[in-house]
Amino acid sequence: MKTITLLLIAASTLFGAQYSVIISKKAEVGTLSTQQIRDIFLQKRHSLGNQKIIPLNLVGQEASRIAFESDVLGMGRDRLNAYWVKQHFQGITPPITQPSHESIKAFVQNVEGAIGYIPSSMADGSVKVIYEF
Amino acid sequence: MSLKSPFSSLLLLFISTCTHAYELGRGAQINDHINVGGYFSSEFEAGRSDETFTLDDVAVMAYGDINPMISYLAEFEAVGFYHKNFSDGSDGGSQKFHAERLYGDLWMSDDFNIRFGKQITPIGYWNMEPINVLRDTTSNPLYSMLLFPKFLTGIDINGYVPSTEGLRYHLFAQKNHDLDEEYINIPNTHFYGFAVEKEFSMEWNGGGSVGEYITKTNQRTRFLQANVKYDDSEWQFVSEALLAKSDYNSREDDYTLSGYVQAMYHYMPEHAVVGRVEHYNDHFSDYKDTIFTLGYSYRPLYPISLKGEYQWHSQNEENRALFSFSVLF
Repeated sequence: MKTITLLLIAASTLFGAQYSVIISKKAEVGTLSTQQIRDIFLQKRHSLGNQKIIPLNLVGQEASRIAFESDVLGMGRDRLNAYWVKQHFQGITPPITQPSHESIKAFVQNVEGAIGYIPSSMADGSVKVIYEF
Repeated sequence: MSLKSPFSSLLLLFISTCTHAYELGRGAQINDHINVGGYFSSEFEAGRSDETFTLDDVAVMAYGDINPMISYLAEFEAVGFYHKNFSDGSDGGSQKFHAERLYGDLWMSDDFNIRFGKQITPIGYWNMEPINVLRDTTSNPLYSMLLFPKFLTGIDINGYVPSTEGLRYHLFAQKNHDLDEEYINIPNTHFYGFAVEKEFSMEWNGGGSVGEYITKTNQRTRFLQANVKYDDSEWQFVSEALLAKSDYNSREDDYTLSGYVQAMYHYMPEHAVVGRVEHYNDHFSDYKDTIFTLGYSYRPLYPISLKGEYQWHSQNEENRALFSFSVLF
């Protein structure tokens, strides 16, 4: 498993992926598709296999969040805002937020099922990379 | 089931205990288990004979997770809160709150979730987002109001169809009276149905449903429904249609056919022009109408909606202008 993680990091360096979606290294989860990541962060799906998932967003309007929303979720700010307003009526809230990439990484390391995005340069053997963008 | 005025108490709770930054249209998180919100809408209607103002929906809602598997939602609404007729000077209204939704969700997996209690019937688009502030026109198409019960007091087993991508199902059933029969478009005693919805891409999705219900007057209706939507943020096209066959005690079976096509163009994120054509043909009551609607929608913020529209009806001289202002908290 460590080899796969190192290969993903090496590949991200070679092909220029800036950010990595990470999960606890204990999680029995392989690489995810864009659709799976989107469904998790839009709170449409709440599990991967038997693992309940806790998506984490970065608070504010940092570059990584903007890139995640446009490249992975495929939604601009207006559309995403409209989506969450509609979800509020359905009783669904957005993912919880964390103040920094460091806290996202720490949360993922300590809480099984937590999933978040950090700069690829921060990804190491303590977490599992399951998607890159 | 009704409450005299949960609005003021919930508002006080909202103000006094809100611990997180509030964002309009997203509700307020009181703690890890309670989120609260609400909405209202007001409408002005100018028809051939009447001009009326209505403070229509005043609603409060609360929802949250009790634990990772169980969540809930409660919503209470007063319809026709205040009404004023400018033509004859009369006014009135009802401040009685009704249970619009009151349900729990038991999440077993993404493929198997059980919703139990009073809930919105999981059919199509319009019925799932029925409140003024989330709609793009003040009026509702007849399709959404007259052909199936808008609410279900029963269970809905739902989730993703295993081994598929973006395909969801709903299997719903009711074998009792509605929780609040004053507050449902079609009071009924039996209601069963099956619905599917498929996300083809970020822009395209579609679905359909079949179902049967028996009204309190013993009218049995079976229906077949389909819906499709395209939405790329700038353009949106929505179409829904339903064919119903009803068995009446007093006479032979009859069919009802209804549907609409609606197009919306956002020339700016806050501004949109909306056009809709709908057709309704009820053979039993011999009511047939084709309605063209042209409207304008302005949202300074998404949860604040100002709308105006004009309707042309093929019959009954029901042409009218409608304006509304609504907010989701």
